[in-house]
Amino acid sequence: MKCESCNKKLATVHLTEIIENEKKERHFCEDCAQNVTNHFPKAPSPSDILTSLINQVSPEIREMSKTTCPVCGISYLEFRSQGRLGCPMDYNVFKKGLLPLIERMHGSSQHVGKVPANAGAEIVQKNELIQLRKELNEAVERENYEKAAELRDKIYELSGNVEDGD
Amino acid sequence: MEIKDLSDNTGEWLRGTGKESDIVISSRIRLARNIAGYPFLSRANFKQRREIESLLRKTIIERKIAQDVSYVNLNQATAIDKLFLVERHLISKEHAEGEGERGVAFGKSETVSLMINEEDHLRIQVIRSGFELKSTWDTIDEIDNILGEHLSFAFSSRFGFLTACPTNVGTGMRVSVMLHLPALGMTKHIEKVFNAVGKLGLVVRGLYGEGTKVSGDLYQISNQFALGKSEKEILSIIESVIPRITSYERMARKALVMESKDQLEDRIWRSYGMLKAARMITSEEILQLLSQVRMGVNIGLIDDIEMQTLNELFVLTLPAHLQKLQGCELDSTQRNVIRASYVRKRLDGL
Repeated sequence: MKCESCNKKLATVHLTEIIENEKKERHFCEDCAQNVTNHFPKAPSPSDILTSLINQVSPEIREMSKTTCPVCGISYLEFRSQGRLGCPMDYNVFKKGLLPLIERMHGSSQHVGKVPANAGAEIVQKNELIQLRKELNEAVERENYEKAAELRDKIYELSGNVEDGD
Repeated sequence: MEIKDLSDNTGEWLRGTGKESDIVISSRIRLARNIAGYPFLSRANFKQRREIESLLRKTIIERKIAQDVSYVNLNQATAIDKLFLVERHLISKEHAEGEGERGVAFGKSETVSLMINEEDHLRIQVIRSGFELKSTWDTIDEIDNILGEHLSFAFSSRFGFLTACPTNVGTGMRVSVMLHLPALGMTKHIEKVFNAVGKLGLVVRGLYGEGTKVSGDLYQISNQFALGKSEKEILSIIESVIPRITSYERMARKALVMESKDQLEDRIWRSYGMLKAARMITSEEILQLLSQVRMGVNIGLIDDIEMQTLNELFVLTLPAHLQKLQGCELDSTQRNVIRASYVRKRLDGL
């Protein structure tokens, strides 16, 4: 069936109009349908769809898409498509994009476990402090105030020796 | 040591000893580590890869990380040798299939294995028979400390040990406990276990880890998160879950014995009969048969097979092991014949 407006292209849009109880069938090609009615916005191009999808699903990708690690040369998009980082520095360079991902994977983004055997005393203390603060929160939640007081004292004691902060 | 010297024995983790070893086959912990100052492997060039391999290999051998350490250069190993090491759980499938300079160091008892240039520069693995997470952790912690004194690992106080894949960042630790759960599988209660375990942030995998299917009723329970909890906390979560699963399995076994004793016994004895008499057995079939017979031993129905023999047969009848044992390449039909005859020999069959 040909389009009733231009009479050239194939009619792919079929409208049913009801005006004062009178039903009327109309057949247009996609281009003419745009002119006849504003109900049919022009189909977006695949790249438009992709961009809007990315924006919806991961605003972080749009923001980070231009970031590239100066050390190993990997771009944020390459990381997202391969799932593997290029070097330890990427954790800093892509921090903004990585944080929500890491939160989702682990339910946290702060390490509280072991530190390397040869790490400086400062790192060791810093991580001990983080662990103690976590335990303190848990103790307060459980209303174990005796334990909480004990932990608080330990934290005071340690934080006197270490420059705190991220 | 040559790889062929290993082919008619197995690692100590298959001995069937340790706590709850009727259900818990093994306890395994691995730590992912990378050397500071080098890119991760996907971005490392040929020279860097070789430097990392050589630095790690030398440190591991000099520090005598395990007793009588053997080192296999995987870049030069044959396809069968690589598959053989995968079957023994000394390397991962990814490590076997990888490219470039890489290798594995392991101790004589095969309790300790160190994979160099796998997904990360270094993957340390310790595996023990039975439900033995505490001693497994003590061993791997000590190895990590020794290596950490001589090597500089990529680490940040915010994210912990930095790894190529952000799923491992933090502790870099994955704990996997391998369980034999035939009764839960048979009664379909296994689904409930999966759901409960999932809520705790743990996952269930097949025999050979990520992406492998479950066979022979063998399941691996492991942690998904590696950051935000200390190693001890991760261990204690798994430590508290496993006894619940094992007692659930024992209940299911009891119920089967009470409610469908004849069917159960028939199934187990038939499986035993097949193992003792069949002339051809496929690799899938043998897992099912061994699983049934293993349960038969556990519920006291069969008393003339050692648990160690059964555990070992799960590994010794795998394709690369049969080919090593035979000393030549075999097609799948030949393997099925050799597999059946090997099992008959081990079980004093017909």
